[in-house]
Amino acid sequence: MDSKSKITRRRAIAAGGATVLFGGGVAYLASGSESDEPEYVPETFHTSEETTGFGVELAGRPLVGDREATVDVYYWTDYLCPFCKKFETETLPTVGSEYIDTGDVRLVVLPYPNIGEYSMPAAVWSRCVWRTVASTDPEAFWRWHGTAFDAQPDSGHDWADEATFREITERTDGVAVSAVDSCRESRGDAIRDAIETNLDVAKSAEISGTPGFILYNRDADAAGKLVGAHPYDTFSDALDRVLEA
Amino acid sequence: MSTTRDAAPGWLRGLPDALGYPLTSDGRLVTAGVVTVLAYSVLVLSTFPQFTIQLLTRNPADLLYGIAALTRETYLSVGWLGLLLVVTYALLTGIAATHAIALFRRARRTSASTMLGVVPGFLAAGCASCGAGVLGALGFVGAMAALPFEGNLLRLGGILLLLFFLGRTGDPQTCSIT
Repeated sequence: MDSKSKITRRRAIAAGGATVLFGGGVAYLASGSESDEPEYVPETFHTSEETTGFGVELAGRPLVGDREATVDVYYWTDYLCPFCKKFETETLPTVGSEYIDTGDVRLVVLPYPNIGEYSMPAAVWSRCVWRTVASTDPEAFWRWHGTAFDAQPDSGHDWADEATFREITERTDGVAVSAVDSCRESRGDAIRDAIETNLDVAKSAEISGTPGFILYNRDADAAGKLVGAHPYDTFSDALDRVLEA
Repeated sequence: MSTTRDAAPGWLRGLPDALGYPLTSDGRLVTAGVVTVLAYSVLVLSTFPQFTIQLLTRNPADLLYGIAALTRETYLSVGWLGLLLVVTYALLTGIAATHAIALFRRARRTSASTMLGVVPGFLAAGCASCGAGVLGALGFVGAMAALPFEGNLLRLGGILLLLFFLGRTGDPQTCSIT
């Protein structure tokens, strides 16, 4: 080995420093705190028994926004999915105030259980909570929905179980646990089947992860697709294009 | 009298020289650093390829947003251990790249038969695309969660494979005598 090919103290220090910087940078990005955006509560909710032009069955699904909105956003989500929480806390509040509350967009909340073992039971909890409050206090569903995402810990999927979702339901104002339990018992299988039906729509649209979105212009029968927790600007561009379709 | 190092398997004896090789010149150190950052970016972005492709085709300037978002997503899905394994994987890939360059240059200078000796080095560098990399690219973080220890076992396997091939190569500037 010639003199140029020797391990020098300078290079060793540079390599050590760069490694520490690199690791520190990754740790900083990983531990980034959640957004300080105020929690979004939609202004209007409604129910529908229709199947949309895109083939999504709306019966029993939480529908957020104006019934006559030009664009439907089919939002496939999983309460165990950290990326969905990122969308809910960082992007949805602005999408909500700029597009949903203005009457341009209607958000359809659809389960896509894909992260952990309790993803499907969590989806059934959600549907049953909506079923029990949709006609009387739909905001209670949104409170439950937000509390469920807030329950996600810093890492792992072990947090999601019967006890956790029962506790979430018990402490959500306006939701009666007994009514939700009764729904889960009597309608659990039917809800699972219905979830699969809309899941097939997502899969045929080649959505392979959560959160997954189809942006569908109901008048023009034109659609766009987004997958993942994109920044607000990406959502805004996509929504504007579909609105103008 | 045999020392502990002598008793160790051949690939393990060659490992210190292999890991220290990027420190033997400024160019190699920079190459290892650049490849490490690139490898980390590819590994993290490949955990959710559909999102990455959409993000970058709409606005390539969102690259840093994608890396930051998926780093956080990876941590939230597989914890500190999983993230540490990804970082280690990227560092070893950076080192392996300097080996691959050295071995390729050596092979060009010498006879074609030396190419056989180059294979482990190329395997080491190419291994960045096996294990955690490719399997991540086939699906997304959620799919990795279905694997034993949420994919960490697979990541560990990839790292051990990289270490094995790096150790086999040892210092790529010297020829091993068998």
